[in-house]
Amino acid sequence: MRIAIDTGGTFTDIVYLRDSKLVVLKVFSTPADPGKAVLDGLRQVGPRSSVVVRHGTTVATNAMLERKGARVAFVTTKGFEDTIAIGRQARPKLYDWFQPAPDCLVARELRFGVTERVGSNGELLLAVEASELKDLVEAVGGARVEAIAVSTLFSFANPESEVKIAEALAALGLPLSISHRILPEFREYERASTVVANAYVAPKVGSYIASLATKVAAEYEHGRLEVMQSSGGIISARIASAEPVRTMLSGPAGGVIGAYKLAKLAGFDHIIGFDMGGTSTDVCLVDATGPRISNESMVTGIPIGVPMLDIHTAGAGGGSIARFDAGGLLRVGPESAGSDPGPICFGRGLLPTVTDANLALGRLDTDRFLGGAVTLDRARTMWMMEQAKGDLERVEEFAAGILRVVETSMEKAIRVISVEKGHDPRDFTLVAFGGGGPLHACALARALQVPRVLVPVLPGALSAVGILLADTMREYSRTVMKGIDADLEQVFAELERIGFAEFEAEGLVGESFRSVDLRYTGQGYELNVPFGPEMAQAFHALHQRRYGFANKARPLEIVNVRVRLLAAGDPFKPPRQAVLEGDGSAALVGTRDVYFDGGLHETRLYERDRLHAGDVFAGPAIVSEYSSATILPPGDVLRVDTYGNLVIEVQA
Amino acid sequence: MNSIELAIFQSSVHSIAEEMGAALRRTAISPNIKERRDYSCALFDRQRRVIAMGDHMPVHLGSMPLSVEAVVFAMRLEEGDIAILNDPYAGGTHLPDITLVLPIFIPGVAGPSFYAATRAHHADVGGMFAGSMGPAREIYQEGIRIPPIRIVSGGVMNAEVLSLILHNVRTPKEREGDLAAQIGACRVGERRMQELVSKYGSAKVDELSDALLAYSERLMRAQLRTMPKGRFEAEDFLDSDGVTDDPIAIRVAITFDPENAAATVDFAGSSVQVGGSINAVYAITYSACYYVFRCLLSDDAPAAAGLMNPITVTAPEGTIVNAKPPAAVAGGNVECSQRIVDVLLRALAKAAPDRVPAASYGTMSNLTIGGWDARFNAPFTYYETTAGGMGARPGMDGIDGIHCHMTNSLNTPVEALEYAYPFRVRSYSYRAGSGGFGEFRGGDGLIREIELLADAQVTLLCDRRRFQPYGLAGGDGGKTGLTRLIKPDGGSEELAGKCSIHAKRGDLIRMETPGGGGWGVEGCSRQRHDL
Repeated sequence: MRIAIDTGGTFTDIVYLRDSKLVVLKVFSTPADPGKAVLDGLRQVGPRSSVVVRHGTTVATNAMLERKGARVAFVTTKGFEDTIAIGRQARPKLYDWFQPAPDCLVARELRFGVTERVGSNGELLLAVEASELKDLVEAVGGARVEAIAVSTLFSFANPESEVKIAEALAALGLPLSISHRILPEFREYERASTVVANAYVAPKVGSYIASLATKVAAEYEHGRLEVMQSSGGIISARIASAEPVRTMLSGPAGGVIGAYKLAKLAGFDHIIGFDMGGTSTDVCLVDATGPRISNESMVTGIPIGVPMLDIHTAGAGGGSIARFDAGGLLRVGPESAGSDPGPICFGRGLLPTVTDANLALGRLDTDRFLGGAVTLDRARTMWMMEQAKGDLERVEEFAAGILRVVETSMEKAIRVISVEKGHDPRDFTLVAFGGGGPLHACALARALQVPRVLVPVLPGALSAVGILLADTMREYSRTVMKGIDADLEQVFAELERIGFAEFEAEGLVGESFRSVDLRYTGQGYELNVPFGPEMAQAFHALHQRRYGFANKARPLEIVNVRVRLLAAGDPFKPPRQAVLEGDGSAALVGTRDVYFDGGLHETRLYERDRLHAGDVFAGPAIVSEYSSATILPPGDVLRVDTYGNLVIEVQA
Repeated sequence: MNSIELAIFQSSVHSIAEEMGAALRRTAISPNIKERRDYSCALFDRQRRVIAMGDHMPVHLGSMPLSVEAVVFAMRLEEGDIAILNDPYAGGTHLPDITLVLPIFIPGVAGPSFYAATRAHHADVGGMFAGSMGPAREIYQEGIRIPPIRIVSGGVMNAEVLSLILHNVRTPKEREGDLAAQIGACRVGERRMQELVSKYGSAKVDELSDALLAYSERLMRAQLRTMPKGRFEAEDFLDSDGVTDDPIAIRVAITFDPENAAATVDFAGSSVQVGGSINAVYAITYSACYYVFRCLLSDDAPAAAGLMNPITVTAPEGTIVNAKPPAAVAGGNVECSQRIVDVLLRALAKAAPDRVPAASYGTMSNLTIGGWDARFNAPFTYYETTAGGMGARPGMDGIDGIHCHMTNSLNTPVEALEYAYPFRVRSYSYRAGSGGFGEFRGGDGLIREIELLADAQVTLLCDRRRFQPYGLAGGDGGKTGLTRLIKPDGGSEELAGKCSIHAKRGDLIRMETPGGGGWGVEGCSRQRHDL
């Protein structure tokens, strides 16, 4: 039996299949020891044995966010010790003289150089001296570090130096992160940064995963722990402990995969995922080739080069604070009320937020927010928003303005991942999830001319759904920098040998997918295409689509070789409800005045649990469910499909 | 009109400018645009006032409106036309920066309602030196000079103009592709503005544009009201122009008038223009002023024209800050622009000592290496700028090794460099101790050592070799920069800041960039915070 458990800020979501149907359970998260909630939830489900727990963890992310990772030693080629701090020598903010120095995860005195050098063809120009290694081990050993990262120049082309350094440092018994093992790809800063981030979170994630895995194994016969990685595939607990940098976006990746799988089942394979939470909003794009993967992500300002789903984050969510600036313009975010003090309606906040605006307009139930975990104080909200509304006449006008401003910034975020990358939003379905996604999806879809919104089942626990349904996946890569005609068989075979051995150790049978990163010779960026005789053609076509031109006469070079090993997840074939033509009246629980388009509209309120496949009705309406509510503006038409998804046709 | 409509409009037009930038980056060919991101996109109302500009290159901030102005002065643009220019003496800045201007027409409205403009730094526009950034003596040596003319007429590419341009540059295919990308980006701006008008109506968009300009003006005026009344003067120097050894003075007087929420910036007393290529045209000087005042506002203030309404900038003609033909100007953009910022900050610090950092490294340390790469049997040209130390801030140390003020381009990774060029990088590190001492330390500069694996022509365009980046409030200046040519036998020579030499295989170029100035008098034993 597989059980997916995703740690969230407030709740830990547990999702599993019973009679092919998704079942959800929510328990309160236990931030001091997230594993406690995981085990609590597991006990409530009460599997007998042979349980596989698939986990979405925030331990790595939180260590990065709070900068509470390990004291890391960084070892590199002598003369390049500072490169981990210099980065790309650009400043994050153009017009701020008082910006802080960009964060470096390695303190200055913990950067160590070793005399050695490998050239770009992998030739060993200068070998490591044994005597110098002895001094290095002594120096690192005396530096009271908790983890070590090693990344030397051109290590991917010839790992000899790194291997020797690693062998020597192994004597210290600390977690070792070695660049040619974690990310054997060129561009020294991004590689080193990834390896350092790995070392930075390794002790925390390692002990967390090890302890959780031990407990799962102790409580359940043949119990096993797996972890969701940022690229949208599952890895074993052992690999997650060794390469925790792969778990930075564990939960959000689950959301993307959940949206992708459920939308595909419902018949939509071009989707824009829209996950609105308390402090930020994640958007992503999936087309016929599946979710987009990025090899150049940033996590809390630190470049991470291992494959991650291409998730774009906007700094606005339900808790974002609205204010008027010095010129009188209404701005929303990036400051957030967070959970402390939280929005006004939670009882302690003093500044109006997006959630307060939703409440003021009648869009939220006062007693069902977060599944009833919080009771919203409407009177307090109206009074305090009245004080904050500036020159505007009515609170409703202010509240509607807050929503329009925040929706404009989300529209921007979606334009970045769609229009700016050559996709037309009109070809997509907006899949809304997270607490806030369904509240804003229809308004956003209209602004972007997206014709359809899908609110899948369990929108508040979609990450856990995705984790449950994900495939097991490992990714291997190596920079080769060769001409297009180069023989790559040996490199591919080597990567596959490593991969199959790892899968075998987990009792898995994997299928290999080979691909290459190509570019026009001399270009500074590459595109990934499947390996094979058609790869040049595929590259030109993709280049045309992505960048608007292709030049078949220009020579190509192979930058990276990639192997993805995949073991498919359990098939998911939920039973389909029979269609009963209906108008949802069986689910109608009342009406309320809700503000839309400048005025109050009598709005019907539906309970999602009581809707049936085939129900069709038009807005204005609100469909409430555990942990979320879907706003259906006047004119938009909602239909319940045979899987229980809400499919909304958005008025142009 | 209310604050909400305006907020949404501001966000929408900014999003259009960003989208133009993304389209340009996406479809351009050259690494300079795609990776170093040396470009800008902006939208203007019918009176050629900026209503939105993407978060691109600071040096382009104030100078793009002058391009649109020059185009409108030179010709009557009809629907379907796109103008091109790079002439620093008619709306440009330096020749590699080519600007395209497209008039946006709205059905039923006479004349252009808006303009979309894109500017990109082209890797070569001809002239004596590959890369068009060499030590020229007159503008005629710096490359092809394009006054405002139509590159597209009535929707059709003007093949004769294009052919003339492409015949005068070293890499015509790349230029053609980059120009096509600029045209595409202008059209993105046109289409999105037309959509916006069909959503709001023409009159409403005009009203919103006016409101946005008034809003940006209010932001700046609110800021100017907080400044102390008075006249604040400062001067600083460029080392030399690379022709003679004479230092070049830039002098400024900033006058704040808080009652009227206004300011004037006057560069009277600055040196006359010079024979070398570091002259700045007025557009550069105006951009530097725009940048400095822009930084007084919060980071998210819109780059709309109203910001500069309360500010008057005057620069005497024929000086280093308002050069006239035929002065060479390639380095005005990269070197003189940084010094103008330094001078402005020095004056501003007298008015608002708590809000202004000490001088940053003040030179982009432009390095060009060209030669023959035997590995590929092909010529190569490498161009890069190296960052230095940021000036210390009141209350904070300066940042080590980071690009400041008028540029923000990325470095080339060592591994990418060694794949692409016959070089071996021997070190890349902070230049310890180069930041000026003080209560708060200036950021350290950088050291980059490149060993040549082939004979090559090495061209330097660097400053701050003689005059240190200044400290403030008693802080020491940052160390000056230094470039050495080190021979395989260990012998070495210091290279002039601005020079072009023939170097041999095995030679090592060691570039040490300046540190930032310190701020405040150093305390007894303040531990330096690790940055």
